[in-house]
Amino acid sequence: MSENCSCSFHDYYSDNIYTWCTNCGNYGIHAAVKRALVAECCEPKDTLLCFDIGCNGNGSDKIGGYRYHGLHGRVIPVAVGAAIANRRVKVLAFGGDGGTLGEGINHLIHAVRGNYNMTFILHNNLNYGLTQGQASPTTKLEMKMNSSPDGVSSTPLHPARMILSLNPTFVARTFSGDINHMTEVIRRGVRHQGFSFIEIYQNCPTYNKATPHQWYQDRIYDVSTLPDYNARDLNRAREVAEDLENKIAVGVLYENPDEPEFLKRVANRQNATTELVDEVKPGSIESILNRFNQ
Amino acid sequence: MPNTPLHRYVVKVAGESGQGVNSVGEILAKSLKETGYQVFGYREYPSLIKGGYSCYQIDVSDQPMQSSSAECDLLMCLSRVSVHAYLKTLRPGGQLVHTLKALQFSPEEEQWINERQLKIEFVDAVQIAEDQGGKWIMANTVVIGILLKMLGLSESLVVRILEAEFAHKPDMLAVNKQCLTAGLNYQPNTLVPPQLAFTKLPEIDNYYLMTGNHAIALGAISAGVRAYYAYPMTPSSSILTYLAEWQHETGMLVKQVEDEISVAQMTIGSMFMGTRALCGTAGGGFDLMTESLSMAGMTETPWVCVIGQRPGPATGLPTWTSTGDLNLAVFGGHGEYARCVVAASDLESAYRLVGEAFNIAEKYQTAVLILTEKQIAESLFLTKGFPQPAPIERYLVPDSELSQLQANQRYEITESGISKRWVPGQSPVVFDANGDEHLPDGSLTEESATSAAMYDKRMRKQATMLAELPEPQYFGPEQPEWVIVTWGSVKNAAIDALELLKTSKPELKVGVLHYEYVYPVRTEQLLKLQSQVGDNLILMENNYTGQLGGLISQATGLQFKHRLLKYDGRPFFVEDVLNYLEETC
Repeated sequence: MSENCSCSFHDYYSDNIYTWCTNCGNYGIHAAVKRALVAECCEPKDTLLCFDIGCNGNGSDKIGGYRYHGLHGRVIPVAVGAAIANRRVKVLAFGGDGGTLGEGINHLIHAVRGNYNMTFILHNNLNYGLTQGQASPTTKLEMKMNSSPDGVSSTPLHPARMILSLNPTFVARTFSGDINHMTEVIRRGVRHQGFSFIEIYQNCPTYNKATPHQWYQDRIYDVSTLPDYNARDLNRAREVAEDLENKIAVGVLYENPDEPEFLKRVANRQNATTELVDEVKPGSIESILNRFNQ
Repeated sequence: MPNTPLHRYVVKVAGESGQGVNSVGEILAKSLKETGYQVFGYREYPSLIKGGYSCYQIDVSDQPMQSSSAECDLLMCLSRVSVHAYLKTLRPGGQLVHTLKALQFSPEEEQWINERQLKIEFVDAVQIAEDQGGKWIMANTVVIGILLKMLGLSESLVVRILEAEFAHKPDMLAVNKQCLTAGLNYQPNTLVPPQLAFTKLPEIDNYYLMTGNHAIALGAISAGVRAYYAYPMTPSSSILTYLAEWQHETGMLVKQVEDEISVAQMTIGSMFMGTRALCGTAGGGFDLMTESLSMAGMTETPWVCVIGQRPGPATGLPTWTSTGDLNLAVFGGHGEYARCVVAASDLESAYRLVGEAFNIAEKYQTAVLILTEKQIAESLFLTKGFPQPAPIERYLVPDSELSQLQANQRYEITESGISKRWVPGQSPVVFDANGDEHLPDGSLTEESATSAAMYDKRMRKQATMLAELPEPQYFGPEQPEWVIVTWGSVKNAAIDALELLKTSKPELKVGVLHYEYVYPVRTEQLLKLQSQVGDNLILMENNYTGQLGGLISQATGLQFKHRLLKYDGRPFFVEDVLNYLEETC
């Protein structure tokens, strides 16, 4: 991307009217995404935003850039396929805690393994909002939800603990009440070559009264405020990521820029000077065919 | 039993899984081809790594063939179980060669052997291999030597294969060559060489011997496919294997993915971005892809998927053949949207249809599903080469028009249903490819009139496609009295049977109407033939319900009075068609 790009916040503006609840965390997230993209000189022409199904996905037509609004739980693989095909286009994908950690959790795990060159943003509001407040895999134990009037009985998933167990290359957390913090974290995720996992603790004013913005505001701290914190230390990241109740660490928990992104790991593509989108032309079969006539 | 002379000599090598039956069969088929014969190779095997019974059957002739006979002339068995499984496939006067000490037949088998006057020969191939200093598995090399000698074939190809395989193990190469020589020098007791009286093909080097999956993989290369995604599933797994084997020559990205849902989504993502990506699976895997198929329908993203058919339901007969997934391809996925279903039947169509499928997918911005079958995917066909592939046509907005684009042209409502398509990175005019109902620029809508108008636009593509896609192919006399209506590999057995009938029963006027473009189903030519033959239309399908017949009935009201349906996992053998025509016509 060019250093002197002419990209502005306005380029990501849409005339379509938002349909989220008042105080929904998505407003702040959209603002931060736009700010991060502009700050990183990602022009709408060269940016693809992929959306899962859920409240955040309903924002797909309320922001600029190319967009793909696919199926519930499947945003990661469609974004992966796009990212592989053309690295000149920045690919970001957005999914909620339901789609990502429920229906599509296998895709998340394998995307971390593959280290595909894209940024994934997990909107974690601890419930299924769009379907009206059912429990998600991150809903806290014994929480009474639409689908579980006696309280949730399954142990909640700890997303960062799970991702950090997979030897990822970029793991960050932030929260929807701090646009500046989100912007900085998303910028670093977009810059990272490989699979960037960013979890955003998101306010859901309608269905999650237990952990509003103030609840997070009282508990979070950025890891950069810790003395001698080293984001290259995976075990340290695992330690600080643990606490989700009292002192919650945000910021870039872990980053390994040395691990090559997916296509740099693939032997027959790592030295390619063109992208897959540039190469669609009739391939020669002559030399292969000659193995079949003897 | 049919008394029509098949004009074929049929060799079958049988044994357990893990005994190398497939390798022996392939080597033999290649040696027969090198000698100048037409061959068709057919595999039967269980879904096991060790045990069970499997066979490799090679039909030999000097006439082109694309199907197998039900019976064989020479049966070479490497395991006890395979003797009992395949003994009854021997034609009267056939010969069984086996490598099994103290093999015992049941009284019923003894009676069968006597009645059919079968000749039986025991070869102690393991002992012969050990005498040369080899291990038991080298009995296969001995067996190859015996078969080459018996069929009068040159050993040069086998020697080349051994030399390539053991290039870095000279002592192993020496032992294997000795085993081959021992097989070639074997003196039989009862075995009689068949004296193949077939005219040898000149210029045999111009012919290629390969499976249908090889042809699909080659078709993908010619069509400009730059990414192949798959999850292993018989009978499509070998497309993945072949493309991975060739990836350093082609530069294609070949990726085994975690599941079929991801396979479909990644393929659609890559296509959306503007490259050509292909995926392949079988019926069960395609079940997992149908939600994504629906997504491609709504977002009007081109998507091409190969579905290799095998008998279901559930895991069914995973290593056998079927054409039972036509309805899955035509009706799979929630909601309504335009799509195209094509079906390969042989090497030529398997190769050609990949490129045609991509052109259709990009033209109509829709899913194109390429049906194949285990019978096509894994059988060994002979071909004289491939036709020129269709030129690659992308139907993307040309660079000259990019500056005048408007976002609401992406899903613009048009008469044909087809709107302009461009991809990320191409134009500063961006849009939302929205899986929710949307306006022409992709913005979400739930408004009644617009929703219906957009629905109409997408569905109009089906009618546009129907008018533009080819009619079925007709093979046979101009004035037929009977017409076989079919699709997929069944066509091959039907055409092979008709060739034989030309000499044995020239008065029988039978044609074959073969559907390669299966859906949307065109019926003009069928109805024209019906006006000639009346009720004498014979539906032949490798499934229980006659699924193509169902689509035709839905489109025309026509009901087939004559139906030959086979659903035991076996392909149509040439005798199946001959016997049916003999009884029916």
